[in-house]
Amino acid sequence: MRHDLRDCVAIVTGAGSGIGQATAWLLAERGAAVLVQDIDAERAALTAARLDREGRDFDIVVCDIADPEADRHILATALARWQRLDILVNNAGIGIDRPIEQIDEIGFDRMIAVHVKGTFFTTKAAVPALKRSGRGRIINTSSRWALAGHDKASDYIAAKSAILGLTKSWARELAPYRITVNAIAPGGVKTAMVRETLGEVGIAAEEREVPLGRWCEPREIASTTAFLASTAAAFITGQVISPNGGKTMIGF
Amino acid sequence: MPSFEGRVAVITGGGRGMGRAHARLLAAGGASVVVQDILEPEAQETVRMIRDAGGQGQAIICDVTDTRRLQHELTAMERRLGRLDILVNNAGIGSEATLEEITEEDFDRMFAVHVKGSFFAAQAVVPGMKARRIGKIINISSIWGMVGHHAASDYCAAKAALLGLTKAWARELAPWNIHVNAVAPGGVLTDMVLQQPNIETRMAEKIKLVPLGRYADPSEIAATVAFLASSEADFITGQVISPNGGQTIVGI
Repeated sequence: MRHDLRDCVAIVTGAGSGIGQATAWLLAERGAAVLVQDIDAERAALTAARLDREGRDFDIVVCDIADPEADRHILATALARWQRLDILVNNAGIGIDRPIEQIDEIGFDRMIAVHVKGTFFTTKAAVPALKRSGRGRIINTSSRWALAGHDKASDYIAAKSAILGLTKSWARELAPYRITVNAIAPGGVKTAMVRETLGEVGIAAEEREVPLGRWCEPREIASTTAFLASTAAAFITGQVISPNGGKTMIGF
Repeated sequence: MPSFEGRVAVITGGGRGMGRAHARLLAAGGASVVVQDILEPEAQETVRMIRDAGGQGQAIICDVTDTRRLQHELTAMERRLGRLDILVNNAGIGSEATLEEITEEDFDRMFAVHVKGSFFAAQAVVPGMKARRIGKIINISSIWGMVGHHAASDYCAAKAALLGLTKAWARELAPWNIHVNAVAPGGVLTDMVLQQPNIETRMAEKIKLVPLGRYADPSEIAATVAFLASSEADFITGQVISPNGGQTIVGI
């Protein structure tokens, strides 16, 4: 099967931990050169350490994607190093589980800035290079909660839903340039952040609510991203794929 | 590259078009493939292609609407090969008939092939999948099952029914680690399509509706089937993936 990403250059935002980290590792394993972006230099270095150990082609950029100026810098870093870009994985995000009364204007603005503005302006900067690629791929990270809602975190869910709007309109806008745009809406993922906040007991309780009876490892989300990034998925655009263990089945 | 070494896959309607593409791709990935079709020469030709490429293939010749025969053949094949791990419910028939033109006989045949055929094929393979706690069922729906069409309402309804089976089975079979998903192709350049009258002039009109500006090769639909059939998609169940070039962007 054509999952080979040799000769491709990928940017993964929020690649310092969790799903982004697993995605950076897997895309590199399949042959892509990877730019590891994160807001946290230490975390980015952790991701890079394994890439280095495995002899992968990579670079690091540390910045806040909520700043459009930084987003132009991300792209410039990739082009300076590899002179091309084929795959953009908009993954950087923040998750805070607050009821409506606890979401203040600063928190709300930050939530929208990271997810929506970050995805928007990182993509805006990358589009000229993706048009030149001839096999451009944009993979946005939404959430199962954007499909089904949740009893808290409405700011987060609004942001993740907005990412679905970007996905569908960009799919149409960029199709003439053979750029495909899709979203991944992960269900429960056992990231370090989640293990810390929920604990193993909390995760086990959540897992009982999932038809497959488990949450997944970050690499299992990365495998869907890698599929969408491959030439095998060249006819898939504007779609939302939700690896969620069967917890949410909707639409259509 | 996902490997299907040691796995046995059944492809209904594997004698032509997309079914043949699914059969060849899974066989190329190492699966032993059972090619079911109502058309014997076509099924045998697919098996020959698989064997010529160094793979393992065998044929079942029957009508999927003959449920007793279908189940008997599948059970016998499972005994012979020791297991059936992957079922691709692909067998189908096309239609462009208007509401007034569809007779009761047409209607019954449409549901018998798509819905009953898929239902009773799954019923035959599920006990073994449950016992081994490994199973992948992939139902082939259509974008017309998602968003309708100006004709062929019997076909649209049958393809929508497959989405119902997908979601229900995903929940029912999850406790046994059996994953059930649907693939809903958009325009595909199968022989059935290419043999239509004036297809060259009509194709120019058809692809105007597709943002990516083209129809898919059958192998591109097979690539999505293979992804879902692989361990890469072990956290994906109850979902619908639509490789449609952006023609249909709906839901969620």
